Amino acid sequence: MPKKLLMGNEAFAYAALEAGVRVVAGYPGTPSSELVETVAKLHASGVAQGVHVEWSTNEKAALELLAGASMAGARVLFTCKQVGMNVASDPLLSLNYVGIKGGCVLFVADDPGPISSQTEQDTRRFADFAKVPVLDPSTPDEGYAMMREAFELSERYGTPVIIRPTTRICHASTFFDIPASTQARPLIDGGFQRDSKWVIFPRRAYQAHAEITERLPRIRQEFESGAFNPVVQHGDDPARGIVCGGVSAAYAREALAMLEAACDRTGMLAPSYRLMQIGTPFPFPYEAAAAFADGLEDVLVFEELDHVLEDGFIQLAGSHHLDLHVHGKLDESTLRRGENGTEDCLGRLAAFLDCHPAGIADLSALDQPGAPEPPMRPPVLCAGCPHRGGFYAVKRALGKKPAVLCGDIGCYTLGNAQPLDAIDTCLCMGAGITMAQGFSVAEPDRACVAFVGDSTFFASALTGVANAVYNQHNVTFVILDNATTAMTGSQPHPGTGQTLMGPKSEPIDIEGVLRALGVHCTVRANPLRLDEAVAAARQAIEHPGPSAVIFESPCVQLIKPALPAVIDPDTCTGCGACIRAIGCPAMGMDTDGACVHIDASLCNGCGFCVDVCPFGAISAPAREEGGEAAC
Amino acid sequence: MLNILIAGVGGQGSVLAAKILAQAALERGWQVRTAETIGMAQRGGNVTSHVRMGNAGECVHAPLVAKGTADVIIALEPGEGLRALPYLAKDGLMVCATTSIPSVMTDLSGEAYCTEPIIAYLASAAAHFCAVDDAAICDRVGSRKVLNVAMLAVAVQLSAGADYGLRGAIDIDELKEALKNCVKERFIALNCESVDIAVETLQKA
Repeated sequence: MPKKLLMGNEAFAYAALEAGVRVVAGYPGTPSSELVETVAKLHASGVAQGVHVEWSTNEKAALELLAGASMAGARVLFTCKQVGMNVASDPLLSLNYVGIKGGCVLFVADDPGPISSQTEQDTRRFADFAKVPVLDPSTPDEGYAMMREAFELSERYGTPVIIRPTTRICHASTFFDIPASTQARPLIDGGFQRDSKWVIFPRRAYQAHAEITERLPRIRQEFESGAFNPVVQHGDDPARGIVCGGVSAAYAREALAMLEAACDRTGMLAPSYRLMQIGTPFPFPYEAAAAFADGLEDVLVFEELDHVLEDGFIQLAGSHHLDLHVHGKLDESTLRRGENGTEDCLGRLAAFLDCHPAGIADLSALDQPGAPEPPMRPPVLCAGCPHRGGFYAVKRALGKKPAVLCGDIGCYTLGNAQPLDAIDTCLCMGAGITMAQGFSVAEPDRACVAFVGDSTFFASALTGVANAVYNQHNVTFVILDNATTAMTGSQPHPGTGQTLMGPKSEPIDIEGVLRALGVHCTVRANPLRLDEAVAAARQAIEHPGPSAVIFESPCVQLIKPALPAVIDPDTCTGCGACIRAIGCPAMGMDTDGACVHIDASLCNGCGFCVDVCPFGAISAPAREEGGEAAC
Repeated sequence: MLNILIAGVGGQGSVLAAKILAQAALERGWQVRTAETIGMAQRGGNVTSHVRMGNAGECVHAPLVAKGTADVIIALEPGEGLRALPYLAKDGLMVCATTSIPSVMTDLSGEAYCTEPIIAYLASAAAHFCAVDDAAICDRVGSRKVLNVAMLAVAVQLSAGADYGLRGAIDIDELKEALKNCVKERFIALNCESVDIAVETLQKA
């Protein structure tokens, strides 16, 4: 088999396909999205045979669809990011009660940092809460092995199984042997078999609860002796133990190798320790942990997000009456939040093992005081992003009118950045739509505006819109329709009609949906034409009751750029009003401050700045006839 | 173990540069891990790619380069070189493109973004430093897209026969072979040309 450099998420897709997965569904979210995309690519190229893959409208829809497919006997794979698990929690908790038939694996990617998420929640806790086993890889290679094992485990015990990688596993790459083709497994028993057990009722739930409490100890027992909880010992009779999970295990191993190499160089005795990686945090392998802890006085636990392994060892010490001191997040021996890292583990391990060889303490020696500050470079809306026009137009339409601008999850969360400064709140997927209604009830004199993207609109705004119509809230919805799910890498959605299986379905018309739900004032506009966009926003905001503006213009990632805009240096006064108004990254002041400069390599020629300049100093070929950017 | 960090701004091609290095390491039979920043950071933010290779047969555990351990930093932009500096090992090599990419924040703050003091600071802080007139190389090739590969070539060439940087672990021919496996067929000639021009520029200097 040829070797290929695969990102963790790509490797997990191969592993699931090699395990015979038949139905794959999820909703995009960093850092999980590449798994479904890889399955779709391999399906399209003919490598993955017999598989159905889709982006579902949201995580709940995806998991419910997969519950059906699993009951029919198919091996199924669900993917989402950690907050997606919140959305799919309703089906997950009940599904674990009624059980599954075809192997059912949930790939839920956590995001310590957080790097691109709303929360630092820990899916290992979710597994415990839902009473579902969870596997926690420390490298992409290990995740690959866990993915294959998860399907077996799931079918063996009739339970959903969660695999919980984190960003640094999902987005790390290494070389893998890849198969020429994969084939989905046939349906178990040839298809769905009717049985009263599939129907959840209080009586069935009581019975199912017994099944769960009976199977978890058996799964625990299997984990006790499994390969995912390896223990190594260095030196004789160690008193100190190191416990680690997820990518922290890789950091700890790396740091220990650095310590040992430094001891070797300087002729110091290498420290004695025992190390246990826990790849099966739930059900927690208590007996394996007890064997590991035998003879140890102190253990230091490295894990990210919550103190799950630490809690396991504290419980172990209590239930087994061990004289064991457990150190970790709770006593601030390790970081309480954010990511761990090799350098952090190194310092803490040197102290814990009382091992201080020369040449270890001066990492980051180049991090000197007195260095110049690097330029601030926060993420911003791309040059030419149509959302920029939408935000600017709504603010212009509102003028000095008191208002609250509810944002949502997607690229357009970046509308909060200066100079647009067009978002007052952001909570979770679809929340802006309903939060605006709360503001309108509490403060009827404010204009309450909710921005939502097209993908988020279908994922989780529809019930909120129905609520506004039903309860007659005076709010304005601004749908930023850029014809894709942009933030996570341009995935299609119901409004585009593009599917991962190939054939196009009829795109669902957003305005038609709003009207069908009873929003009578709906206005469509091009957000990159300032007058048109402001007029549309004004009309909707002035309408009493629920109203909507639909700003339609494709994401710059989907279109070929038009010729760049041009500044007439004789007309430009260098006032900088354009930069302060819209902050397009393609615009900047010339070094002498006399004139605005447009970086032709960044400008995509949208022409919006033409409308913003008070002196008419900017022209753009896109504004000439036939000059619009082509899809 | 060789630790390489590639620092730049979203869209400059740091991910491809990391892939090419990984491919070269694979050809040598070494274990290799890479990691990238993906997601929100890509929207005009700073991005880093980490490449770790076990060139002495070591096992590579962690995907990320630890601070103070990068043998090489390839900075595709001066300010990003400065941001990445804490990762450089005491005896490390930094190659840094001199062309700056302004940020909206600096424009809004009204303070000019001056690269000269940054480059001067990097030159004094790094044990081995090379400022690269990337604009001249890219102009000769006729494309800014080759910046990443040209900067790789500079790092490889400066490390030839040296006891720092890549320590001669990968040579220019291996770099060209590796990039052939990583870029689209129609871009191979352009990228190989950029490698030659980058090497030639160093030899003249």
